[in-house]
Amino acid sequence: MGLLFFSSGLVLYLFATAAFVTHLMGEREAARRIAIGSLFVGFALSTAGLLARATEVISLRLPHDQLALLAWFLVAVYLLLQMRYRLAVVGALVSPLAFLLTLSAYVTYSGGSDLSGSLASAWLPAHVAPAFLGYAILVVASCVSVLYLLQERQLKSKRASGLSRRMPSLETLDTLNYRCVAWGFALFTIGILTGSILAKVAWGTFWSWEPVQILSVLAWLLYALLLQTRSIGWRGRRAATLTLAGFVLLVVSFLSLNLGLTHGSGLG
Amino acid sequence: MDREVLVVGLNHRTAPVSVRESLAFTDDRIDEINRQLCTLGGVDEAAVVSTCNRVEVIACASDGDRMQARILDVLRGARPDGADDLQNLLYVHRDREAVRHVFRVAASLDSMVVGEPQILGQLKDFYARAASVGSTGTVLHRCFHKAFSVAKRVRTETAIAARAVSVGSAAVELAARIFDRFEDKTAMLIGAGEMGELAARQLVAAGIGQLMVTNRTFDRAVEVAREFGGTPVPFDHFARYLPMADIVIGATAAAGFVLTKDGIQAALRERMGRPMFCIDVSVPRNFDPQINNVDNVYLYDVDDLSEVAEENLEERLREAGKAEKIVLAEVESFWRWFSQLDVVPTIVALREKVERVRQSELERVLAELGPIGASEREALERMTSSIVNKILHAPITRLKQHDRRDELFFVDAVRSVFSLDDSDDS
Repeated sequence: MGLLFFSSGLVLYLFATAAFVTHLMGEREAARRIAIGSLFVGFALSTAGLLARATEVISLRLPHDQLALLAWFLVAVYLLLQMRYRLAVVGALVSPLAFLLTLSAYVTYSGGSDLSGSLASAWLPAHVAPAFLGYAILVVASCVSVLYLLQERQLKSKRASGLSRRMPSLETLDTLNYRCVAWGFALFTIGILTGSILAKVAWGTFWSWEPVQILSVLAWLLYALLLQTRSIGWRGRRAATLTLAGFVLLVVSFLSLNLGLTHGSGLG
Repeated sequence: MDREVLVVGLNHRTAPVSVRESLAFTDDRIDEINRQLCTLGGVDEAAVVSTCNRVEVIACASDGDRMQARILDVLRGARPDGADDLQNLLYVHRDREAVRHVFRVAASLDSMVVGEPQILGQLKDFYARAASVGSTGTVLHRCFHKAFSVAKRVRTETAIAARAVSVGSAAVELAARIFDRFEDKTAMLIGAGEMGELAARQLVAAGIGQLMVTNRTFDRAVEVAREFGGTPVPFDHFARYLPMADIVIGATAAAGFVLTKDGIQAALRERMGRPMFCIDVSVPRNFDPQINNVDNVYLYDVDDLSEVAEENLEERLREAGKAEKIVLAEVESFWRWFSQLDVVPTIVALREKVERVRQSELERVLAELGPIGASEREALERMTSSIVNKILHAPITRLKQHDRRDELFFVDAVRSVFSLDDSDDS
């Protein structure tokens, strides 16, 4: 049942991507509505899928559940932002990402559950919820940064037609980037703190030089730097570039978690 | 009764400005011409449209050739120099083409700058003028109202007016891609060249929060600042105020650069890297082109802006293609109405419609009654026919009375009361 929800959600994410691209190519308002509508329905189906899975077991050590949860948070964050900012272009980046994440979840689905006893602690949700929400917000910040760099380049090179017209202003993108990074950073911080407590509870040590820990802390430092340097004028292009660098660290840390680089301990 | 829609006129493409000037009528004169045209035999309705880009008479007449000649007389008579070169400058559109022309004018497809919005308002004014002296009737009322709704459709269904096509509005369009809103932004106008003022005016119209004006002659700066509700700033110290400016417009006659890379970098440091939009509308250029290489600074000179405007214009012309299709469809719909707008077809349609009702009701009753004799049946036939004929007698008689001025009004009324134009969308 859960899988059926997932696969229909998957199809809708793909459909939303196509609709967003159509909207961007031809300024078609109907396509924008269809895109957001199908993203919303896809989101509802994913929610149902996750709930159905949760009634059996939700194993946050399995790549499947992690990916599905991340996709869910990502779309949730975008849909919330969309209500306030009407940013169809961001949707054009978020929906293919959501599609890919859900697809990977689907492909890696094994149906099993192997939550090792040591991790079955109340600290697990306290770690996962803020960390994943933080990830999702930082991924949206990265999408916004990509758009900033695109818009910036078009305006600098004076080829400011077509796509540039349909993108938000630099000011909007920069402000949005700042807000997303600030919120994402705060949640990420909570995630790291609860994560180390979780490690302490499970394995008796806060820090064990796991790749995921090192990379997470590096990313954390980078975002801290990004937020600090804004007050000395590092905004716009530099902020966008740093956000993307942070994104790369996040992706690597997420992969290290799932490609077995992190032995036993699991979970970022 | 044959009836034609006719447009005779000249516009920016067919006649030079000297001729258009000589035909620029005053309002009183327009009223006079409207009345005068309608007193001619064979002319039912007429409306003069006279803007700086066109002078046209839109008319509905039973004798198109004669009408055309009379309009020409009137236009010729209006020229003070009496020069007779009009014949070659005029265009004449008849029937569908005439209706199409009016629709195209309203939709701004015939404008010098395709998609410019003023023409629709002007057309509405001239229609109101003609209506106020009673020179418009059923056909032109319908034609103009259709034209207005075509214009609205074109505006909402195509992106014909969505793009900025002047240098000043292109600058505003670009500014809107850098800045989210203008109310909390400040612009600085350096120099008081004409292009600079144009750009400043557009920014003020777009809602810019503050405007600083600086000029080598301070009095001039004060003057321009007063005009735009801005603040004059002494030219020698403008660099001190530069960090406050989100948008800088260069419009001095200076031979060298007024703003250099160093100057802008200093301003940017003080602004904490908040972006600046530099618009250089002067020739020779006021701003060092190197400025564009500074992070968070965007420099556009007059050529760059023209290019944007040009590109937008091309986009407009592409959109115009869509608009032409809308116009054609609407012309057809108007024409269906217009070609039925006559006494004979209306009487025929009315009779047919009522006869259909009679037949179907009769059949229903006969089916309910079951088997009846031939004479009873004939009586029923006679009775229903006679009811129908008696009811139709008055409207048909009225339709046949040939009073030219009222005729179309009654025809149109009958058609709409009995809903004879099923496909009609009015």
